[in-house]
Amino acid sequence: MMMKWLVLLFAVSTGAFAAERTVVVYNWAEYLPDEVIRQFTKETGIRVRYSTFDNNESMYAKVKSLNAGGYDIVVPSAYYVYRMRKENLLAPLDRSRLSNFDKLDPRLLDQAHDPGNVYSVPYLWGSSGIAVDGKRVDPATVKRWADLWRPEFKGKLLLLDDMRDVFGIALKTLGYSANTRNPAEIQAAFEKLRELLPNVKMFNADSPKSAYLAGEVAAGQIWNGEAFMAALEKPSLSYVYPQEGALLWMDNLVIPRNARNVAEAHAFIDFLLRPEIARRISAEIGYSSPNKAAVDAMPPKLRNNRTVNPTAEDLAGAEFQTDVGDAQALYEQYWSRLKAGR
Amino acid sequence: MTRSRSNPFRRVATGSIFWWLFIFALIPNAMVVMVSFMPRGETEFVELGLTLESYGKLLDPLYLQVFWESFWLATLTTLLCLVIGYPFAYIIGRAPRHLRPLLVLLVIIPFWTSSLVRTYAMMILLGTQGVINTALIALGLITEPLELLFTPGAVVAGLVYTLLPFMVLPLYASIEKLDVRLIEAARDLGARKLTTFRKVIIPLTMPGIVAGCMLVFLPGLGMYYVSDILGGAKTTLIGNLIQRQFLSARDWPFGSALSVTLTLTMALMLWAYVVAARRAAQKVEA
Repeated sequence: MMMKWLVLLFAVSTGAFAAERTVVVYNWAEYLPDEVIRQFTKETGIRVRYSTFDNNESMYAKVKSLNAGGYDIVVPSAYYVYRMRKENLLAPLDRSRLSNFDKLDPRLLDQAHDPGNVYSVPYLWGSSGIAVDGKRVDPATVKRWADLWRPEFKGKLLLLDDMRDVFGIALKTLGYSANTRNPAEIQAAFEKLRELLPNVKMFNADSPKSAYLAGEVAAGQIWNGEAFMAALEKPSLSYVYPQEGALLWMDNLVIPRNARNVAEAHAFIDFLLRPEIARRISAEIGYSSPNKAAVDAMPPKLRNNRTVNPTAEDLAGAEFQTDVGDAQALYEQYWSRLKAGR
Repeated sequence: MTRSRSNPFRRVATGSIFWWLFIFALIPNAMVVMVSFMPRGETEFVELGLTLESYGKLLDPLYLQVFWESFWLATLTTLLCLVIGYPFAYIIGRAPRHLRPLLVLLVIIPFWTSSLVRTYAMMILLGTQGVINTALIALGLITEPLELLFTPGAVVAGLVYTLLPFMVLPLYASIEKLDVRLIEAARDLGARKLTTFRKVIIPLTMPGIVAGCMLVFLPGLGMYYVSDILGGAKTTLIGNLIQRQFLSARDWPFGSALSVTLTLTMALMLWAYVVAARRAAQKVEA
C-alpha cells in the first residue's frame, strides 16, 4: 500500500516537473527588479532561474565554456554582442514572437555591433560623463573632458576603474575615436593619461557614487545611472555630458546558440519590452531605456531628467563602445603601465 | 599499516581528505601549470602546444616592477607587524596565567568578521568625513580634513590591521614557552636588559618570529583587494595583474605563468623557513 502511494507521488511530481516551463536568465547584478520577475512568473507560469555577473568577461567565459548552452538569456554589452556574434555563440531572434519590438527607439537599433538586430535587443543603455560636486567646484566651469586636467583638481578626481572608459577620456580629448585600434593613438592617449594621474585620487568601478556622496572627490568620471541615484541623496552633484562626447554603452538581451528554452526566452524578452515593464526597470535602475514608448510614459519629471534621458544635443560627439579586437592587448599593457606609474 | 586498513573511520577520514585535495587542489593547480606552457588563442582561451612565451613576458621590466612593489609592500607590512606584535605578544605571554586565555581570545575576536568587511570599516575611520577627521576637527586640532584614505599609508595600515593576529599568535606561543629561569640566569651572570633580550630572548623565540613573519608575508603578497579599496586602486600588484589576465586581457597562459611564479616564490620561502627553523632549533639545543 505504502509503495503504491510512493510510486503515485513520484509519478505526479515528475509529471509536474516535466510540465513546468522555465527560463534561465544570466544578467548583471542589480539590473532587474525582483518584482518584474515575479510578475512574469505569475502571468505566464514560466519559472525564472536567475543568476548574475559583474563583468562581461566572466559572462563570456561562462557562456563559452558551456558551449553556448546552459543559459537561455544573457545580457552582454554591445562590444561583447559583436564578439559573441563573430564567434557564433548566439541564436538569431524570431521577430514574430517579439510583438513589442516596434516600441524600441529606432535611433538605438541597427548599430554596428549587430546590424539589423538579428541577434540582440537593447535592454538598457547609458553613458559615462563627468560628475561635479557643486559645493566644491562651480559646475559651469566644467564642460569638457579636457577640464579634468586643470591643476586645481590635483588629488581630487575619481576615474572609473574601467580600462576602456578611462582610455576613452584621453582619446576623446585628443580628438580620436574611443574605439581606435591605431597603436600611435593609443600610445598618445596613454601619455595624456599619465599627465592626468596626479589629479586622480582614486579609481573605482564598484560604487563610484559612494565616493562622491562621502565627499572624497570633487569631480571626475561617473556612469549616468550612478549619478542619477547619487543626486537623489546629494542634490549638489550634477552630471555633465562633455563637449568632446560622452562614452556610450548599451546592454542587450541575447539568446545563446544552444539555449534549451527558446520559446520561453522569447516570451521573457517580449515581456521586458512591454513599455510599462521597461519604464519600471529604467525608473528603478536609473539607466536609460531604449524603449521609446516607455520613455514617453514616464512622469514628466523623470522623462525630462537629462541624466537619465539625454537630449540629442547632450549626445553630440558621443560614441558607443565597440570591440577593439587585437588592440585589446595593447590597451591592457598600457593600463597596467599606467597603474604601475611608469 | 594493517591497523589503519582495518580501521574504517581512519580510512574514510584520510581517504576523503585525500580525494578532496586531489580534486580541488592538485588537479586545478596542475591545470594552471599546464596552461602556463600553452600558447594563447584568439577565439579559444588557449591552444594546444608547448611554449615558454608566457614566462618570457615576465622579464618585461613592467612586471618585474609589479613583483617588486608587491614584495616591498608585504615586507613593510611584516616588519611593522613584528615591531608592533612582539611587545604585544610579550605582554600577553607574561600576563598572569589566568588572564592569558582571555587576552588571546581578544586577539582572535576580529577574525569572526570577514576581513573584507573590516577593510570597509577602515574606510569609515579614515574617510574625509570619517571618524578620525571628524573627531580631530571637533577637537579643534585641524581645520581642513587630513588626506588619510586612498594613500599608500592607508594601504599599509589596512594590511597591518588585518594581519597582526597572524604575527601575535605564533609569537605568543613561543614567548609563553620561554623559561623564566634562563632570563634570571642571564641577569645573575651580569647581562644587562638589552643583552639578555638580544642574546637570550630573541634566539629562544626565533621559531615564533619566523613563523609569524611567514604567516604575515605570504598572505600580504596576495591581498590586493586591500590596496584596491583603501589605496583607490592606483597601484598594480601581482594579484591585480593575475586577475586582469584572466578577466579582461583574456591571456590565460600569462595569468597562469604569473600564478606559477608566485607559488614557486612562496614555496621557496617556505623551504627557507623550514631550514631556518631547523637551524634555530639546533642552536637552542647546543
